[in-house]
Amino acid sequence: MIATILRTHWTNLKRDRTALLVTFLVPLGFFSIFAMIFGGMSAPMGKSGASSGMRSIRVLAADLDDSKTSRGLLEALDRQEGVEVERAPRAGADEAPLAPYDRDSAHAAVRAGRAPVALVIPVGFSDRFGDFVNRPEAIELLYDASNPMAPQAVAGMLQGAAMQAAPTRLMDQGFNWLSEAGGGLTDEQAKAIEEARTYVQADAQPSSGTDGVGGMTGLVEVKNTDVRETDEPRETARSFPMIAYNASGIAVMFLLFSMAGVGGVLLDDQDRGTLERLLISPLGMNRLLMGNWLFAFLLGMAQVVLMFLLAALAFGLELFTLNRLVGFGLVTTAMAAAGAAFGMVLATLCKTRAQLNGLSTLVILLMSAAGGSMVPRFLMPEFMETTALFTFNGWALDGYLKVFWYDTPGATLMEATTELMPQLAVLALMALAFLALARLLARRWETA
Amino acid sequence: MDEALAIAGARKRFGETWALDGAELCLEAGGFLALLGPNGAGKTTLIRAIAGRVRLDDGQITLLGADVNGDDGAAREARSVLGVVPQELSLYPALTARENLETFGSLNGLAKNQLRERVDWALAWTGLTSRAEERSDGFSGGMRRRLNIAASVLHRPKVLLLDEPTVGVDPQSRQRIWEMLAELRMEGTALLLTTHQLDEAQQLAERIVIIDHGKTAASGTLSELVQQTVGSQTLVSIETEDLSGAKERREIHVEDVAAELPALLADAAAEGRKVCDLAVRAPTLHSVFLHLTGKDLRE
Repeated sequence: MIATILRTHWTNLKRDRTALLVTFLVPLGFFSIFAMIFGGMSAPMGKSGASSGMRSIRVLAADLDDSKTSRGLLEALDRQEGVEVERAPRAGADEAPLAPYDRDSAHAAVRAGRAPVALVIPVGFSDRFGDFVNRPEAIELLYDASNPMAPQAVAGMLQGAAMQAAPTRLMDQGFNWLSEAGGGLTDEQAKAIEEARTYVQADAQPSSGTDGVGGMTGLVEVKNTDVRETDEPRETARSFPMIAYNASGIAVMFLLFSMAGVGGVLLDDQDRGTLERLLISPLGMNRLLMGNWLFAFLLGMAQVVLMFLLAALAFGLELFTLNRLVGFGLVTTAMAAAGAAFGMVLATLCKTRAQLNGLSTLVILLMSAAGGSMVPRFLMPEFMETTALFTFNGWALDGYLKVFWYDTPGATLMEATTELMPQLAVLALMALAFLALARLLARRWETA
Repeated sequence: MDEALAIAGARKRFGETWALDGAELCLEAGGFLALLGPNGAGKTTLIRAIAGRVRLDDGQITLLGADVNGDDGAAREARSVLGVVPQELSLYPALTARENLETFGSLNGLAKNQLRERVDWALAWTGLTSRAEERSDGFSGGMRRRLNIAASVLHRPKVLLLDEPTVGVDPQSRQRIWEMLAELRMEGTALLLTTHQLDEAQQLAERIVIIDHGKTAASGTLSELVQQTVGSQTLVSIETEDLSGAKERREIHVEDVAAELPALLADAAAEGRKVCDLAVRAPTLHSVFLHLTGKDLRE
């Protein structure tokens, strides 16, 4: 009987060309436009740095020098508005403090998506800090290219921090160099420098320091390292993040729209009287809902698979590795299951199609905005990160990003799959909860 | 004769309103019963209760001897012998006639091999064989009505409930539907018809039940109902006019028209009045219905 429901819905859908178009082609078109628009954002470093201005950037610090200067530099950076420096992984409430980051642990943390940027201050940095002739070894900035804003902003702020950290030393070093190169200073010049030193010591204040200094110039030299460059071809790594983000975000949002539409077949059945006939038949409400859910689930799967195939074939998303195919399959299955059930909740909440259209548009757009389907979450204020936890989109997007971005190179299939467990579990729980709620709400159609 | 369907003391309340307040009826196996009543009398609630869509607060519904009040597994199983033709056209418009029949046949538990045979039968029965592969939203009202009935009988129900099956169809389609129902009766299907077409009920049904305010007001054959209500007297209506041209109509119930009519005409002549119009009407279901339910407009 469930097979009959599936067949009937499919026949109805395939004969409604507009619905078919909306289900399959519109999301693909929408995604393609986004992919083309944001394709340029995939380059990891642009011409100018800009702070997101909305939330603090978490910067991991591996202070290999561990000198007064390096500590001062990191403290100054931490004082900058919009930056939060972390020198060691956060320990739990009852745990002993964890060891400070070294280069490997900082690299791994950025690779895993726990922070967008890490700074590695090399041993001996303080010895030549401020020396403009024999400049110290560059500070290494490890960055996650999925967030193109953060490394640029941190690189800029690092220059501001350097100025605040040891202003007099920088001045002395700078003027010494000037004096040597220019053949000595006049008395007046020396007096002016002395006055300036007093002024600098008194008034050194934190500043946002976000002017586009770039990574390779300024008071301290910065060497940028994409944490994925070592194991992925650069071209792939560069073209990747926004495509992955767009495909995921748009897939999730359109899945919800489609699922709400498909969930509405219950209301269509009610309007054309077929619901009464179905409920009089031996089918019963449980099997009817199960049939509707299964149809929506399969349709959702097909829609998302098509979108990612397009992303892979036309826009260079790397999909065809075992880990990614399996991860994609798992996340898509869990997401389509939850999405289909969510569509049924919306449909069972509403009394008419018109109500469903209005409610679903509102709810889905809100969830998509809060969950990151429309705007990347790293551009949002920090509290939105928490809000996203309450949205379907947030969990589904996190699942896809783990598959396509935060996957660990060389991880076994089991390891890669285990990483996805929180997202899969939450989505599966959502599916069950939504199904239970839809069943409860559908009681109004049952025997009076 | 065995009872196919029996309802006793059916009571159902929605809020403060008793939709059913002790209604009862009995449909014999292979019989044809018309269920009549004004709007809001409780007909649809009673049909929905039989179909398992309404659970009675009190009373009993038995279908071929099995209790079917409610929607539990046993009641659902017992209702497998029931077919319901909803008043609303309950079809998938984008599906063809054949696909609609296949869908509802399958949902009513027909196996694949039976399904094909029954669908072919239903298409022939409804006269839709040549249109089998066309979408039902392209059909006329009469064709859709026939398809709507066919979708309910594919599983060979022993009892068929028909909720106003001929609403909005032309006389030709109505005639065709009546023929279809007659064929079903010949196969032994018991029919329960609700309708506002009193002539239809009078012509087709063996027995009639009239309900009002959730109660059974009368039940029996047409002649029994006539006897119970307006009696068997024939109505004679005479319109006369006097010399000044003033008209007057008199209605008299008589036991024997042939014996009493000449005297009535003679009386008029003796009064100096000329007979302008004369009508003789035997009691009809219409008069029984109005006698039982009154002439006040209902909701």
